[in-house]
Formats: sequence, structure tokens, C-alpha cells
Amino acid sequence: FSLNTCLVNGQPPGKPEMIRCRSPEKETFTCWWKPGSDGGLPTNYTLLYTKEREESYHECPDYVTGGPNSCYFDQKHTSVWTIYNMTVKATNALGSNISTPYYVDVAYIVEPNPPVNLTLEWVGQAYASYLLLKWVPPPRADVRSGWLTLEYELRIRPKEEPEWDNIFVGLGTKYQLFRLNPGIKYVAQVRCRSDRGEWSQWSSESHFQVPKEFKLKDIIVWIF
Amino acid sequence: CPNGSNSCQVSLGDLFDRAVRLSHYIHSLSSEMFNEFDERYAQGRGFIAKAINSCHTSSLTTPEDKEQAQQIHHEDLLNVVLSVLRSWNDPLLHLVSEVQRIKEAPDTILWKAMEIEEQNKRLLEGMEKIVGRVHPGDLGNEVYSTWSGLPSLQLADEDSRLFAFYNLLHCFRRDSHKIDNYLKLLKCRLIHDSNC
Repeated sequence: FSLNTCLVNGQPPGKPEMIRCRSPEKETFTCWWKPGSDGGLPTNYTLLYTKEREESYHECPDYVTGGPNSCYFDQKHTSVWTIYNMTVKATNALGSNISTPYYVDVAYIVEPNPPVNLTLEWVGQAYASYLLLKWVPPPRADVRSGWLTLEYELRIRPKEEPEWDNIFVGLGTKYQLFRLNPGIKYVAQVRCRSDRGEWSQWSSESHFQVPKEFKLKDIIVWIF
Repeated sequence: CPNGSNSCQVSLGDLFDRAVRLSHYIHSLSSEMFNEFDERYAQGRGFIAKAINSCHTSSLTTPEDKEQAQQIHHEDLLNVVLSVLRSWNDPLLHLVSEVQRIKEAPDTILWKAMEIEEQNKRLLEGMEKIVGRVHPGDLGNEVYSTWSGLPSLQLADEDSRLFAFYNLLHCFRRDSHKIDNYLKLLKCRLIHDSNC
């Protein structure tokens, strides 16, 4: 009786599926897959890939670093502007099943880590007072050599209100914000992206209270 | 401006600033154009698998990771940029005329193709100036890859013709990204002493 055989012996594995790949700095990347059913038996997964301009298939160099069901490609195994063709093969005692091929070019999966050290500093000057927001690029992103160029976006809101105000900054790592309301507490975050790629997660929140009283100081104009 | 005076010359830093601004702009346009085309004409057709090993510039050797890009001598990297740019003069010109025949091609794709063709020429002029300044006398000895893809853009079969466009836009997106990336590296290396 077939049901009985199934229960006793299990089944070949279901079809695994590649889900996504991400590179935080255009130097390494990780891909993840979703396993199909294991058919009730211990199932082994292997990721095989080939690259543009190469004939041969290679096996995933590192199944550990990226966590369960993942493959991590270190610098030695990462090329940019090259299509990788990947498949995952699930194997158990009763057979195997292979995922649909997945194509990826590292140039288009860059999603940096969020920027760090967002500081908010009140600058009160004679002619204008403003909030100076400064931050630092994510530690692993190599912006000094020009390998990565990051664009930033800020968002800020009064602590008591739900609506964020988004500000696209572009290439700089600081921003002057005028016209804030006196005495109000604000929350701000920043995120970044490289070459029109995916936005990073938002950085952790930074808080700031605008001084209660700030006025333009009297300006004396001497007319001769 | 007196003849032969150096004071009127644009500094190398300014030339690089302009070049990088242009290359950044061209790459943005080409990504947008590729994405628009991909969404509109390429869904579910499996073009990406066919696009492997199919760029006319793939015969040019170009750095493929950071280490390679950092090890290559700056004069050679400049020549790589020149070669890739020159390899696109011809196909971009044809792209502008052929893209107008795609059925219901949105104006945004037409406009971007024209703008890219125009700006790519400007970038090439700018790069020739930069190369002339960095290593005078050697104008990259005119190496480039020839393109023979025009007949494929004019194929009667719609699927094959759309693939030819897809492939061209995919290759240009890749090459414009390379150019932009190499120029940003060169700028940081030559102008900011690798401390951007």
C-alpha cells in the first residue's frame, strides 16, 4: 500500500528555491534558498554555480558564514559585472531535486549596511540657528578608495508624531536643517545606497531636543 | 586669456569632477532605461539566461573586482575607460534610431536613448582631455570593440528583436557602471591620494 510505503520510507526531496542574494560592499556576497520538503529524510543541499566566460561548475565555497540555507562568497570568489548562474540541489536517500536556475550579477545586489554614528548638534549663530546632522559611512564599505560611492537619505520627525519627513541628501555626510520648532524633541535616522542599488536599513534612532528659546540676535546695520 | 598661459587651464581635479558627474548621470539613465524596458517588454521571457556572454565589449579585459581594479596601473585603467567608451559610439547611435521603431515605446525610453548618446560623446571628449593631461602623447591607441548587432535590432521576429534590445541595454548598463566605477576609483587615486 503506497501510503504505508511513504510513511515508512519517506519521499525524495521537494524542489528548493533560490530566494535572494545580497552584497553589503560589492566585495563579497551571500545567497539564500528556501528548502522544499525534506521528504521525511535527512536531506543534503549543494549549491552549484557557473560564471559568465567560464565553462565549469563550482560548488559553493562556504555554507557556514551566511547561516542556514545560504552560500557565502568571499572576495576570492566574487566578481562584479559577471552573471552567476546558480542552482541548488537537494538530495536524500530516495533521490534528488534541483532548483530553477537563478541568475545574479553582484553589481545589482549591493545593499550596504546602515550608516553609523548619527549625531545631532544644535548650531546657534548670529544670523541663523540650525540642527547639524552628521554621520559616518557603514564601517565595511570602502568609500575612501572610490570603490563604493554612497548616497544618503535622512528622515526626521517630532518624537510625538508618527509621520516622517524624508530628505534626500545625495553624496555628503552632513546636513543642515533649518526651521525646526523650539522646545520640540525630534527623532532622526539615516540610510544609504550605492549606484542606485537597494537602500540600506535605517540607522538606529538619534534624538534631539531643540532649545525652547532661540531668536535671531539683533543685527546692527551701520549706514554711513 | 594669453596664449600658452597655464592659468586658464582647467585643473585635473575639475576635469575629473566633471567626468565623474557625467558618468554617474549616464549610468543612472542607463539603469532607468534598462529597468523600464525590462518591466515593459521582457517579463517572463527568460532573456537574462540568453544574455550570458553576449556583450560586444566582453573581448576587452577589464577589472572585475576591487583588487584587480586597484592593481592595474592608472594609465592602463584610463585606457580601459577610453576603449569601453569608444566601443559604444556606434551602437548608441543606432540605438537612438532603432528604438523609435519599437511598438509603443514610451517617450521616456526614447528620450533617455538620445540623452545617453549625447552625453556619452561628451564624456569621451572629456576623457580624451584627461588622458592627454595624465600621459600626453598617448591617446589610448584607438583600441575598441566593434559592434555588429544592427541586423538583430531589425529582426522581423518580435521575440528575437526584443531580446536584441534587452541585450544591448543590459550590456550598456553594465559598461556604463564599470566606467563610472573606474572613474571614481581613478579620481580618488589621482586627485585625493586614495582618501576620498
